[in-house]
Amino acid sequence: MDKSKTYMNSYLAGILLGVFMIAAYYFSGEGLGASGAMKAVVIASVNDINHEYAAKAPYFAARVQNEDKSPAKTWLVFEILGVIAGAILSAALYGRLKLSIGKAPTISNRTRLIAALIGGILFGVGSQLGRGCTSGMVMSGMGVLSLSGFIGLVAIFGGGYVLAYFFRKLWI
Amino acid sequence: MGPLFPTGAIGDELNMLIGFIIGIGFGFLLEAAGFTNTRKLAGVFYGYDFVVLKVFFSAAITAAIGLFLMNHYGLIDLNEIYYPKTFWIPTLIGGFIMAFGFIIGGFCPGTSICAAVTGKIDAMIFVLGAIIGIVGYAFTYEPLWEHLRGTGKMGKVDIAHWMGISDGTFILIMTIIAAITFFAITVIQKRVTAKRDYQL
Amino acid sequence: MKKIDVLYVGIMLVGAFWAFIVTSNSEPISRVTPCKLVDIIAQSDKYISTDELARRLMSDDPTLTLIDLRNKQEFNSYSLNGAINIPLQDLLNKQYVDIINQDVQTVIFYSNSSDLAVKAWMLTQRMGYSNNYILKGGLNRWVETILRPEEPSATATLADYEKYSFRKAASAYFGGGSVTGESVSKKPALHIKRRKKAAAGGGCD
Repeated sequence: MDKSKTYMNSYLAGILLGVFMIAAYYFSGEGLGASGAMKAVVIASVNDINHEYAAKAPYFAARVQNEDKSPAKTWLVFEILGVIAGAILSAALYGRLKLSIGKAPTISNRTRLIAALIGGILFGVGSQLGRGCTSGMVMSGMGVLSLSGFIGLVAIFGGGYVLAYFFRKLWI
Repeated sequence: MGPLFPTGAIGDELNMLIGFIIGIGFGFLLEAAGFTNTRKLAGVFYGYDFVVLKVFFSAAITAAIGLFLMNHYGLIDLNEIYYPKTFWIPTLIGGFIMAFGFIIGGFCPGTSICAAVTGKIDAMIFVLGAIIGIVGYAFTYEPLWEHLRGTGKMGKVDIAHWMGISDGTFILIMTIIAAITFFAITVIQKRVTAKRDYQL
Repeated sequence: MKKIDVLYVGIMLVGAFWAFIVTSNSEPISRVTPCKLVDIIAQSDKYISTDELARRLMSDDPTLTLIDLRNKQEFNSYSLNGAINIPLQDLLNKQYVDIINQDVQTVIFYSNSSDLAVKAWMLTQRMGYSNNYILKGGLNRWVETILRPEEPSATATLADYEKYSFRKAASAYFGGGSVTGESVSKKPALHIKRRKKAAAGGGCD
């Protein structure tokens, strides 16, 4: 059997993920996240290119005031570095490390890549407006029973089901 | 008593190292569960693969049970940890924008990073798009988003207290609903995949 | 579902039952956040004046619960009418929760000055209780203003004279003049209605 098609049991993966979330809260008081790390990298880059602008603009200002500490040196950035290492490790173990494009067989590579770009842009904007993405706000938020996590859950997954019909050509 | 870093029990550098180690676990599990496969992710909306739903709910339920038990036994102070504040209007609108992003792009930020580093070209483009989106948001923050982002402010709201029940009751109800859902999606997936072969 | 899936979901259900049982047997830890607390502390109506207290005591206000935060010795030598002695260190004992955490009675903390009362009040706010007040100036001011009121100077306003005459009357009512060997009638503790748990929440940023 093809090893690259075998996956860990979903419930076991979920339970272990929950245990790692508890560990993140216990040791660092932080929730797992991804968009927050991307935001930190963007802020650090803009700050490097034009510090004067970053120090004045309201979106950047709060994060770039401390001159001694880079705005990229946050817990989430280190966590994402770990995520990268962990994903590569797992993919190597299962023999899934190879260049490819994931898509439905009915659409062209070009369509898939354009869709991925648009989807990425929307996710970037949405995660900033909604104060976090699926992992940072919804999953971690649900873990501490925060109302915002459940609102995000309804918006993202509910919205997904509403929209699924209109974009079915991309996936089926 | 936890959390260790916010209460000063461990230093900044050790905290970053712990973040890295926890990240390894997070990334490994996302990859091992199949979250780098965009077909598996999108399957949740079409009924042929529910891995997202299963992993997501199991993780949230496990974390909630663990955290509230630890809080009860005095091992962690939930007042000191990261707690997403509720601003219901931007969360709802932002969530809907993310729903568009999810159904069109086929990833979310966390899974796209895992997929990008394991060789999925579409995921690399998605990460690029997300960064463009964040930069675009940042440079249009004042005129477009600043006001909207602060609307619907409710502060720190615990959903159980908001509904007027205890945390434990809410967790129990959530788990029972999840268990029923888990059973239901197994049936749905069987029916959907019986009609047609979905190549993952 | 496969057998192994059933096992994992079963583990989650067992955990959820466990969480349900332990948190429903105890008061959930209230979540008044530090920043919410700042807002509460900043509010000004946490004090009750000695005059106001005297007026309510004289009208036999049944909704008043006085909590004496000093130690037992001090309490026995002198205390206000109907006060209950709960030394500050015992305030959060389970046996007193019903007295302090409620909305039917107005709970007033006092000690010699305002010090202990302010601490007690902060603790109760942290726990999310409402309807608690601090006797401003404590027993010291009680003695100064109610038991031994000072006659206003000749140039004082009519309002001052009215206040003085009220305090004189109060002084007579509470047997003022001397506070040594006071025989204060002790009312039995009022019956207590349990207060419904308030929804916690709030925060600032």
